[in-house]
Amino acid sequence: MIIAIGNDHIVTDVKITISNFLKEQGHEVIDVGAYDTSRTHYPIYGKKVGELVSNKTADRGIVLCGTGVGITVAANKNEGVRAALVSNAAITRYVTEELHANVIGFGGTTVGKFLAEDIVSVFLKSEYKETAENKKLIEKIDNLAPKNTEQNNNPDFFKKELDLWDEGYYHD
Amino acid sequence: MKIALGSDKKGFELKEIIKSYLQEQKYTVIDTTQEPAEDFIESSKLVSKAVLEGKADRGIMFDEFGAGSFMASNKIKGMITANVTEERTAHMTTEHNGAKAIAIGAGVVGVAVAKSIVDSYLGIEYAGGRHQVRVDMLEKMI
Repeated sequence: MIIAIGNDHIVTDVKITISNFLKEQGHEVIDVGAYDTSRTHYPIYGKKVGELVSNKTADRGIVLCGTGVGITVAANKNEGVRAALVSNAAITRYVTEELHANVIGFGGTTVGKFLAEDIVSVFLKSEYKETAENKKLIEKIDNLAPKNTEQNNNPDFFKKELDLWDEGYYHD
Repeated sequence: MKIALGSDKKGFELKEIIKSYLQEQKYTVIDTTQEPAEDFIESSKLVSKAVLEGKADRGIMFDEFGAGSFMASNKIKGMITANVTEERTAHMTTEHNGAKAIAIGAGVVGVAVAKSIVDSYLGIEYAGGRHQVRVDMLEKMI
């Protein structure tokens, strides 16, 4: 499979471990970054992974940040993406088999190495099992957000926020 | 603090337990699903609406895995929900992500941990500062 992977600067090392794991399993990995540990912002990478999955360049996506929350929320807020924050194999199996999740996220600082590998393995070997009930739920989810918006595949979508950041607007 | 609760059938029993738990501690509880919602999409929409409209300060969604409420509610513009299975994520998502609600899966999290998660969730404030750039980005998305 072709897997898109993305992360923020907090968990670059964990991303590298997972990327290596995926390649060892024979998958192709598209790594959208972050590539080092200099401070950056998880929505950038959640959006990139979401878009690669949505436009079918990648089959599935995996996103990581400290707890996994922020980047998975960002991935989910893309047309055509159903992203799930997971922390064990049972949740991973459920979201893939029942909700047809195409992106999963987890916390690189909260989920340990072996559990992360289990989660990734389950995600990649599980397939959506359509039922009348889950088909209806998925359709509802897919129709909650608007389609064909200016966000789609727009690399400058966060320009305003990034400019403000560079100006020092978002200080602690 | 006003806390909105909402649940489908699978999360209902846990929701009722947490509702009593919160009321014992004198929180104002807004129960958006006095009867179970038809599905987790409806219940998570009700909690999202209560928080986004300012009727509640925070929200807790209940379903079987937590992940369903996450997926549905995070499709709503401006909403930031985190499904959680332990206290640290509940704490950090509030402090850093500005999470507006958490979701707890009754099939995943037992009563004792659910109460501990809720304690962590309600015991921390959003830090703002540098985190706001990320919250602004999330809130700008569809």
